[in-house]
Amino acid sequence: MGDLVVFSILWILLSLVGEWALGLAKPHSLYYIIASQGYMAERAFNFLATWLTPVFVFVALFLIYTLLRFRAPDGKPVKSSQQKMRNMGFTVFWVGVSFVLNILFFLHPTSADLQAMFASEIPSRNHKDLVVDVTARQWEWIYTYPQYGVKQAVNNLGEDELELPVGRKVKFVLRSYDPFHTYDVYAGVIHDFWIPAFGMKEAVVPGLTRYEYIRPTVVASYQTNPMVRVQCAEVCGPGHPWMESPVSIVTAGQFSQWIKHQQQLQAAAGG
Amino acid sequence: MAQNIITQPDTYRTRPMMPPVLRGFLWAAIGFLVFNMATIAVDPFRGHPFVTEVSAVIGWAGGVIGWLLGVGGWEGIVLPLFGSPSAWVEPLDWRRYFELSTDHKVIGIQYLVSASGTFLIAGLIAMGIRYELMQPSLHFFTYANQYLTAVGIHGTLMMFAVGTVALIGGLGNYFVPLMIGAKSTVFPRLSGIGHWLVPAGVLTVIFSPLLGYWDTGWRGYEPLAMQDPGGIVYYYLGVAALTLSSSFVSVNLAATIIFQRARGVTWARLPLFVWGTITVSLLNLIWLPEIQMTFILGLLDKLVPFNFFDAIGSPLSYLSLFWLFGHPEVYIIVVPAISLWNEIIPVMAQKSLFARSWAVIGLIFVMMLSGLVWAHHMFTNMRNSEIFPFSFFTEMISIPTGFSFMAAIGTLWKSRMRLYTPGLLVIMSLFNFLIGGLTGVFLADPPVNFQVHNTFFVVAHFHYTIIGGMVFTWMAAMYYWLPKLSGRMYSEFWGKFLAIVIFIGFNGAFSQMFLLGLHGMNRWVPAYPPYLQPMNYEVSLFAFLLGAGFVGHAIHIAWAWAKGPKAQENPWNSRTLEWMTSSPPPRNNFDGEVEVSGSFYRYDVDKLPGVIHPTE
Repeated sequence: MGDLVVFSILWILLSLVGEWALGLAKPHSLYYIIASQGYMAERAFNFLATWLTPVFVFVALFLIYTLLRFRAPDGKPVKSSQQKMRNMGFTVFWVGVSFVLNILFFLHPTSADLQAMFASEIPSRNHKDLVVDVTARQWEWIYTYPQYGVKQAVNNLGEDELELPVGRKVKFVLRSYDPFHTYDVYAGVIHDFWIPAFGMKEAVVPGLTRYEYIRPTVVASYQTNPMVRVQCAEVCGPGHPWMESPVSIVTAGQFSQWIKHQQQLQAAAGG
Repeated sequence: MAQNIITQPDTYRTRPMMPPVLRGFLWAAIGFLVFNMATIAVDPFRGHPFVTEVSAVIGWAGGVIGWLLGVGGWEGIVLPLFGSPSAWVEPLDWRRYFELSTDHKVIGIQYLVSASGTFLIAGLIAMGIRYELMQPSLHFFTYANQYLTAVGIHGTLMMFAVGTVALIGGLGNYFVPLMIGAKSTVFPRLSGIGHWLVPAGVLTVIFSPLLGYWDTGWRGYEPLAMQDPGGIVYYYLGVAALTLSSSFVSVNLAATIIFQRARGVTWARLPLFVWGTITVSLLNLIWLPEIQMTFILGLLDKLVPFNFFDAIGSPLSYLSLFWLFGHPEVYIIVVPAISLWNEIIPVMAQKSLFARSWAVIGLIFVMMLSGLVWAHHMFTNMRNSEIFPFSFFTEMISIPTGFSFMAAIGTLWKSRMRLYTPGLLVIMSLFNFLIGGLTGVFLADPPVNFQVHNTFFVVAHFHYTIIGGMVFTWMAAMYYWLPKLSGRMYSEFWGKFLAIVIFIGFNGAFSQMFLLGLHGMNRWVPAYPPYLQPMNYEVSLFAFLLGAGFVGHAIHIAWAWAKGPKAQENPWNSRTLEWMTSSPPPRNNFDGEVEVSGSFYRYDVDKLPGVIHPTE
C-alpha cells in the first residue's frame, strides 16, 4: 500500500508541476501563429498537451520509480516477493482511461475543430473573400489576384511575392502545373503550400484544384518573423528547399496601394 | 558448446567448389551481362547505349538469379528439385555463414549480420545528412538531389533491410523455433535462400545513384518519381528483393509456429515474442505483396511510360497504395519490439508476467487496426471530408498499443528488477516509445497535423518510435540473448555505459527536432532559413554521439561474441525453452523431445515448464 500512496502523491504533484510548466509554454507552443486556422491548431495542440501531461508523467515517473524503488540490490535471481498476474482495479483504470481519453480527443478537438473548419468553407460564407490563385511549378510559387486583374504579383526585384490585407478572409485556390509548359503532363508534381505562421498547410496535387480558407490577424512580414513565408513542404525535386517566397500581411490601405502598384507594373510590362 | 563442433570428414565436399559468395558475385555479373545484352538485342535504344533503363531492369533480374544460384541455390535447391545428384554438403565451420544454409540458427545470424552491417552503413549516411544540416546552405553535398538521394537510401535501407529484418529475420529465425521447442523450420531451403536476397537488395539500393540521383525519399512519391533518372528504378528493384526476403521469412516462421510447436506449447502458452512474430508475419504476408504490386506499377509507369500516377492519372492513388502498406510497415517494425519488452521484463524481474492475455490481445488488435489508419499520412493531401474515419482509427490504435505498456508496468510494479544491460535498455525503450506514442496523438488530430505534417516534428516522432522503440529493444535483446547466441558474456560496464550514451545521444538529437518542426523546419531540405541553424547544429552534435554509441555497441557485442568470458547455461534464470539447451544450441536444437506442461511466465513456481525426453 505504501508504494501506491507514495507513487500516487508523486504523480499528482509532478503532474501539477508539469501543467504549470506547460502553462508557461502554451502561448508559444507553436512559436508564432497569426491566422485563424493556426489558432485552432494551437488550441488543439495545447488541449492535447494538457491532457497528455499526466499520462506522460505517469509512465515516465513509473520508470524512474522502478529504477529507484524496485531495483534488485544485487544481480542474484531472487524471485520477486509480489507475483500478482491480475489486478482488476489497475486494468480497469488503464484501459478505461485510454478509452475515455481517446474518445474525448476524437470528439474534441478533432470532430469539433473539423466541423468548424468545414463550416468556414461553406461557399455562402465566403462571398467577400480575397481570392488568391496560387500556382505551384518546379520551382516557383506564382500568385494571381483575379479580383484585381493582377496576373503575377512580384516585388521590385521581380520575385514572386504574396501580400495579404490583415483581418480579411482569404481563399487560396491551389493548383500544380507548369503554366509555361502546359503541354508537359510530367511537369506537375505534388507540392505543399505552407505558411508556418498561419499554422496550416495544404498539398497541391497535379490534376486537382484545392482550396484553403484562412484569415490573417496580425500585421507582419518575413522581415518581422521568418515564419511568415511560403515554404513548399512536400519534396518536389532538387529545387524543393528554395521553393519559398516572402509573405507580407499589411493594412487594408497599404494593400490597395500595393495592388495599384502591381497593376501599374503589369501595364508597363504590356500586360 | 561441444555438440555443434562435430568434425566433418575431410571430404565434406566431393568436388572442390569456389567460395559461394565469390561465385555468387561472378554468376551475378554473368547473369546481368547475359540478360542485359539479350534485352539490348531485342530492344535497341537510339544512340545504342550498352545499358538502358529497360535493360538495367531485366539485367538486374539476371544478376539476382545468378547471385542466388551462386551462393548455393544451384546445389541446394535447383539440382535436388530436378532429382539430380548434388555434391553439396553444408559445412559445419565458419564457412556455413557464407553460403546457403538450412539451419534456422545460421540463417538467423546471417540476417543479424546483414541487418547490422546495413544499420551501420545507413547510419553513416545519416551522419552525412546531419553534417550537411549543421549549416543552412549546401556545404557537404554538392547538389540538392545528392542530398535527397542520401535521405532516400538512408530511409529505404533502414526500413526494409534493418527495421523489417533484424527482429524477425534475425532474432525471429534464430529464437522462434527454439522458443516453441521445434527442431527445425518448415521451409528451411526457402528461408535459407531468402537471406541472400538481403545483400542483393541492399547493394541494389546503395548503388542506385550509379543510374542517377533520385530525389523522392523512401516513399517514392509519384509523379515526382516519374521525372527521376534511372536510380529510382533500382530503388523499386532493391525494395522488391528486400520485401521478398521478408515474405519468405514470414511464410516460414508462420508455418513453423502453426505446425512445429512442441507438445504442450499451446496457443495459450505461446511466448510473447512468438506472438509478436506471428502477428508481424501475418502483416508481412498481407501487405508486402501489396507494396510489391504498387512498385511494379511505379516501375511500369516509369519504363513504358504509362500515366497511372501523374496529372492525367491519379497521383493520390499512389499515395494511398504506398501508405496502405506504409503504415502497417511501422507496426511490422515495432510489434516484435513491444512483444520483446514483455519477454525480457519478467525474466529480469523474476516476476510473473502481468495481464498476459491483454498483452497478446493488444498485439492482435494493433495488427488488425494497422490496416485502417493509412490515410493519416495524407491529411494534407486528401479531401477534407475523407479525414474523419482515419483520424478516428489513428486515435484508437493507441489503446491496444497501450496494453503492452500496461503489462510492462504491472509486471515491474513491486518487482525485484535486476538492472542488467538488457533490463536497462528495455526501460529506456519504454520511455522513448512513450514519447513516440504520445506525439502520435498530436499528429492524429487533423488541425495540428496540418501544421506539423512534413516537418521535423514528424521526423522526430517516427524516429522516436523506430529507434526509440525498435532499435533500443533490438540492442536489449542482443545483450539478453548474447549468452545463448555465443555462449559468452558481455561486459556489464561497457553495456550499461554505451546504453546511457545512446540514450543521451538519441534524446538530445530527436527531442530538439520536435521543436525545430514546430518552428518551421520542413523536411527534405539540405538548405533552410538561417534562423534554424543553432538548434540544427546542436541536433547534429547529439546525432554524432548517437552514431558513435551505436558503433561502440557493435564493437562491444562483436568482442563479447568472440572473446567474452564464458557464460553460464542460463545466466538470467529464464523459464523459456531456448535456455533449456546448450549455448549455442546443437544443430537439432534439443537432444530429445520437448514437452511443456506449464507457463513460461510464472515465477511463483519452481518447477520448470518444459522437460526434454531424451531420444533413444
